[in-house]
Amino acid sequence: MKRPFQNLVYLYILAGLSLTIFLVHCGLKALTVTVPAQAQVDERVTFVMHSGAEPRIEEPGTYTTQLLAGIMVPKSWNAREQAVLTYTSPKGNGTLRMIPDSEIEPVSGVSWHQAAKNMFGIGPNLVDDFEWIIYRSTQSYTFSNNEDIDFNVQVACNVGSENMLVRLGFYVGSSIENLRPEDDQYKKFTFSDVFEVSGGEGDVQDFVNPQLGTIQPVRSLDNDIITLVFNGGVMNTVLDGLNEVYLRAQAFDSDGQLIAEVMEQNDKTKMGSIGGRQFRIDIWPRGFFAIEKGKQIARLEYFFTNADGTKTVGYGNTEEPFRYTFRCE
Amino acid sequence: MKIKQLLLFAFVAFGYLFHASCEDEMANVVTDEPVKNITGSWKVVQLTRNGEDLSQRLNLTDFRIDFKEDGSYILANELPFVLVGSGAYTLNDPQYPFSVLMTADGESEQIAVKLQYPVVNGKRQLSLSFSLGCAGNTYQYNFEREN
Repeated sequence: MKRPFQNLVYLYILAGLSLTIFLVHCGLKALTVTVPAQAQVDERVTFVMHSGAEPRIEEPGTYTTQLLAGIMVPKSWNAREQAVLTYTSPKGNGTLRMIPDSEIEPVSGVSWHQAAKNMFGIGPNLVDDFEWIIYRSTQSYTFSNNEDIDFNVQVACNVGSENMLVRLGFYVGSSIENLRPEDDQYKKFTFSDVFEVSGGEGDVQDFVNPQLGTIQPVRSLDNDIITLVFNGGVMNTVLDGLNEVYLRAQAFDSDGQLIAEVMEQNDKTKMGSIGGRQFRIDIWPRGFFAIEKGKQIARLEYFFTNADGTKTVGYGNTEEPFRYTFRCE
Repeated sequence: MKIKQLLLFAFVAFGYLFHASCEDEMANVVTDEPVKNITGSWKVVQLTRNGEDLSQRLNLTDFRIDFKEDGSYILANELPFVLVGSGAYTLNDPQYPFSVLMTADGESEQIAVKLQYPVVNGKRQLSLSFSLGCAGNTYQYNFEREN
């Protein structure tokens, strides 16, 4: 009775040990990316991810998996419709296909794209108007012990029609490992240096540098709840050192007519301090401006003021108001 | 060896008993899913936008939704919602509802609001999610019953 039991214990220890060795030493090499410094609007650009596999597997076992790769790009690029991912490696070249939204990432219980967004976030960008999109190689590959390879993933993507400064996100992984929070061997991600898109019409969307005034979500309509933030840490303004900051805002319709304004300083317009000389207010524009049914706010103009409204800060710390246009696209 | 045989016997015997008892029980279990009842007055306990919790930053106290037994609802809102005022509601499936269909008074358009009915901290919650402005922005209101 004793001997088989002892053998069983040894077997368990061995299995546990090999699993540990496997987990510690098998995995992917650190991810680096080649991203050009700039591009013209509507240009098709190729970004390249460089990584590799370092299989350390207990002989004679093998490891069979599919390559995962992901990108984090501005939603306005519409990358889901037009980005193409391919890879090159000593074990073969091929294409990656976008994982369907209906497929659930098993650890998080949400789609792969949402799981990646939850896990990797927006990195060093300050404003969130991004989507993570995860792709999987159509072919699977079997590795044996010490079969180290380097591989590249090429991302061909149209950079959209808006001027912007942005840092893009990239990910590579192994399909059978899922997105486990504790794992750092099979998921490698990184964010690029600043990538500039220029040559288009309109203002530059700056995702990277702190802004004096921002509105989230970047895309919204007057029936959304929007968050306005005044970041006094960006530069010196007349509001420096004040504990109370208020919002002063005007609403315009699509003809450019002023349809409502909130100019007073009271509880309704008082912004809450969130530390780091930043103040925040959440408003539902239709309720905030008491807009009648049937009317729409097309855009806002706003300032940040002190408690009696005598000191104001506008766009870029000038007399000009901050402007925000309601839109979804 | 004796112990092993005894163990084996005990295992088989228990297995049989377990199996037999299961069969009897299964036959008696009523498998009808109860009809979900969402009537009552509900207050908001949490509001999220794109997963970001706004509950502490907005005044949720005055927002109520009252689902009455006669199939009408009354909404008291200082916050954005897919509808305003009062109207009629119905569940898309009384046993396995995944949306509540709401029609405002004087309107013909029926709006389907995604519904979940989880139990949180021992309390039944009503969770409604929808977009208000852009389709890319999703709001989730979690309610608790007031009475």
